[in-house]
Amino acid sequence: MRKYQPYIMLLLLLLLPLFGLSTYMMHILILVIMWSVIGMAWNLLGGYCGQVSFGHAAFFGVGAYTAGILYFKTGISAWWGLPLSVVIVAAEALIIGFICLRLRGPFFALATLAMGEVLRVTAENLRGFTQGALGILIKERTWVEKTWYYYIIVLIAVGAFVLVKKIIESKLGYYFVAIREDQDAAESLGINTTLYKTIALTISAVLTGIAGAFYTNYMGYIDPEIVFALHDISIITIMVVMVGGVATYWGPVVGAVIMVLLAELIRSLPRIGTAHQTLFGILLILIIIFLPNGIVGDYPKIKRILGFRRRVGTTS
Amino acid sequence: MDAVQVEVLLQTLIAGILLGGLYALIGIGMTLIMGVMKIINLAHGELMMVAMYLAYWLFVLFNIDPYLSVFIAAPLMFFFGMAIQKYLINPVLKVESILPENQVILTVGIGMVLANLATILFTSDYRSVPVEYASDAWYLSDFWRDSPVELSLSVPWSISFLFAVVITVALWFFLTRTDTGKSIRATAQDMDAAVLMGVNVERMRLITFGLGAALVGAAGCLFIPIYYLYPALGGRFTLIAFVITILGGLGSTVGAIIGGLILGIFESLTATYVGMGWAPVGRFAIFIAALIFLPGGVASILRRQRLGK
Amino acid sequence: MKRMILLIAVMFLFSLVITGSSFSEDTVTFGIPLPLTGSKAKFGEIEKRSYEIAMEEINAAGGIKGKKVVLVFEDSQGKPEVSRAIVEKLIDVKKQPVIFGEYSSSCSKAIAAVAEERKVPYLVVTGAADNITQQNYKYVFRMNPSVSYYTSGLRSFLKEVVKPKTIAILYESSDFGTKGAEGMVKDAKRLGMKVVLKEKYESGAVDFKPILSKVKSKRPDVIYMVSYVMDAALLMRQIKELRIDAKLFAGGAAGFAIPEFIENAKDASEYVVTATLWSPQVTYPGAKEFAEKYKSRHGKYPSYHGAEAYSALYVIKDVLERAKTWTPEDIRKAMKETNLMTAFGPIKFEDREGYQNQNFMDTLVLQVINGKHETIWPLEYATKKYVYPIPRWRDRR
Repeated sequence: MRKYQPYIMLLLLLLLPLFGLSTYMMHILILVIMWSVIGMAWNLLGGYCGQVSFGHAAFFGVGAYTAGILYFKTGISAWWGLPLSVVIVAAEALIIGFICLRLRGPFFALATLAMGEVLRVTAENLRGFTQGALGILIKERTWVEKTWYYYIIVLIAVGAFVLVKKIIESKLGYYFVAIREDQDAAESLGINTTLYKTIALTISAVLTGIAGAFYTNYMGYIDPEIVFALHDISIITIMVVMVGGVATYWGPVVGAVIMVLLAELIRSLPRIGTAHQTLFGILLILIIIFLPNGIVGDYPKIKRILGFRRRVGTTS
Repeated sequence: MDAVQVEVLLQTLIAGILLGGLYALIGIGMTLIMGVMKIINLAHGELMMVAMYLAYWLFVLFNIDPYLSVFIAAPLMFFFGMAIQKYLINPVLKVESILPENQVILTVGIGMVLANLATILFTSDYRSVPVEYASDAWYLSDFWRDSPVELSLSVPWSISFLFAVVITVALWFFLTRTDTGKSIRATAQDMDAAVLMGVNVERMRLITFGLGAALVGAAGCLFIPIYYLYPALGGRFTLIAFVITILGGLGSTVGAIIGGLILGIFESLTATYVGMGWAPVGRFAIFIAALIFLPGGVASILRRQRLGK
Repeated sequence: MKRMILLIAVMFLFSLVITGSSFSEDTVTFGIPLPLTGSKAKFGEIEKRSYEIAMEEINAAGGIKGKKVVLVFEDSQGKPEVSRAIVEKLIDVKKQPVIFGEYSSSCSKAIAAVAEERKVPYLVVTGAADNITQQNYKYVFRMNPSVSYYTSGLRSFLKEVVKPKTIAILYESSDFGTKGAEGMVKDAKRLGMKVVLKEKYESGAVDFKPILSKVKSKRPDVIYMVSYVMDAALLMRQIKELRIDAKLFAGGAAGFAIPEFIENAKDASEYVVTATLWSPQVTYPGAKEFAEKYKSRHGKYPSYHGAEAYSALYVIKDVLERAKTWTPEDIRKAMKETNLMTAFGPIKFEDREGYQNQNFMDTLVLQVINGKHETIWPLEYATKKYVYPIPRWRDRR
């Protein structure tokens, strides 16, 4: 059963649009899947390799702007931004990695945070190139229907999922975890930590950048405040992974469901007004106090609490 | 350089120093928390916001001057910080988790709740405390009639700056002269060693978080006469506190003071000579430069000099 | 497997919460996206209160075609993708045939794109970026002038009264600020003014003194600022502190035109002029009544954003009453033919000067006199004679 689980999930995902969901549901689903992609990307670097980045907006934004500027300056379809962003974001990741990866722990976190902010302010100030705060507006998006956007992001998500899984199950994955557990020990074992950390960062960045380029195509409007946002992108990314489950395959997906779907659900509760943020904040605090490894990570614990004792041992 | 340019430069430097002093106070709270507990507190700015509302209501309801409410708000924030540490952060720090950074979610959640509660309770109105002296200033020409340049020194800015200096000095004495202070510094330098030396680390953490909250609370009161408040104001000050912490070195009070001053002066100079739109870039540029070239912050230079002697 | 069940359960729960149509037998429900939390929440709040006042008035007078109006406010948090989600929900799930609301330009742009694609008319209420109505959209209408037109009144005041030679422009780094500054640069060229300094800043800055001392050294005749509320108040307080004596301090609407500016800047706000779209004293029918009602309820006068929101509901009422059927297509037709006098001013959607479905209107100039905003220009709307030249800082008090 467990072996087929990913395939069932995939089939379900592919068939979902046929159920005649409203475009609103589709929008939320697309956002959920997009956030899963970003979460998986972050998870590779943060969850497995232990390098907690506070600046994934730097990659998301550059991906988004690659597509946007391509469209705006040359008139080529912004979809070409997807492949192009791979190259550009990879280059960016190498530069940022060169600067930040020599730092450890909170220093690395803060350095990446600063990188994101630097890029945001730069995008705001380079008006000739990025249109500054005016943003870039795509006059006509490719499709009005959401089905194709949905399939494209599902494709990206499946690709990201398989890629992350393959990497983690390969030798590379063991190196990553070794670095996370004890960098000095890994080094003394002859693992070139800088190299592997750079690999993790680059793959993570590229996946995030693709999601960014997708965002431009899907939303049709970007500006620096949106795509380089510290709170709304970088921090939400961390929350997606941590709430869902660090260093688990499904954690980012579950986290995205919570951070997007549940947030929207709580927001839509009748008669709650602006208090929805308090409610959501408290929910986050509770999750992290009781499930410090996230929902998937502490799944056995949930089962225990809920009283499903019969299948102890077959942890997921 | 003619007189006009000299005037611009001097006025810029004055502004930078005054701003830097206040920045330093925000940064010290953060540097203590990060130094002792190695956690990233993303609710730092929100704590400042809470203190600012305290000061605001003390003024509106009881007509207490914001500078006096430092003495009320800071102790209250101390207990508030201790409560957060005791009931929220400690339980998370204790459990084994893959990444210790999961406390980030906690502080983000706390920040969200605080900011949102402020919106619900006080609406999202922008408020400022209508003190009499809000835009008073001393002018050089009032003292020196034929001065070639005209400089001004804002009254509330100067008072806030003085307060910040006094609080910082008091803190420095606390950290270097009292047993509790020494224990906190020991915990920041090497937690395992501190435990071996018999320091009650748990208690130090409580005190540190309380102290950090109290300091940023005091900074909030000092900002009230010269700035304004609204529920969503926290984020930008959290960022500034990060920059100062890294610039000064984790856990170093003196480093944070110097870091704050550097940041204030640097921002002012950028605003005057490059353009105010680029000031934030400058802020983060020195941040990254400090991370790369001076990983220990200003504190590491200070230490090196001390050892050299 | 269990995860999937969980997922499906959450989605099911979700669909329970959000179903239901907006129009029923005796009520008509409008969902309105507004930023109710976050840094733009202040304006969301002003607009929400104003919509509520309009709703009560309309319901007291019999509703729209006998149906009671119900408003549901949805918090967009100022995020475009959330605004988009809200509007997708309104169009698709609630089947609402006309959309209006939202505060910021970026969210308005996101909604405009959805509305155009889904062929549902959208009335932009406060988003001011020029390009919202320059996209050849057929279904997007805007009742507020675009930001480049905010200053038409101020321009004629400068031309006929102040006749300045030089100008310094300070603006916040947002879309609104950038466009406002660009508009003024163009105006300056037309009026023969030299722009001696044009600088932007990031909203929320603590200290403007460095940049202001630079302004001071250039000695401009006019200092023009495009800022939100608290930046505006801080700027004037610090201008007073540095004793910068320009012939005129002018604001480009937004922050300078709302009562909080005077409350927070105190005496530093005296004699500052500002462009505005509306003021509580304007002579449009119903304006004064609305302003007084708002003040008696919430303690202070509304800004022009309030008047826009208040009047927007009346525009919607008028359109729905004229529309043949309540389908998006007929509502769009009725919207296009709108010619309505509201508390905010005359509303008419025209295609000209590169804009489509744009309302053009005269803008006013206010001056703070004795701690109150007074309309001073155009002269036919003036409530007080303008004060010019203004006294030097040193001589005040």
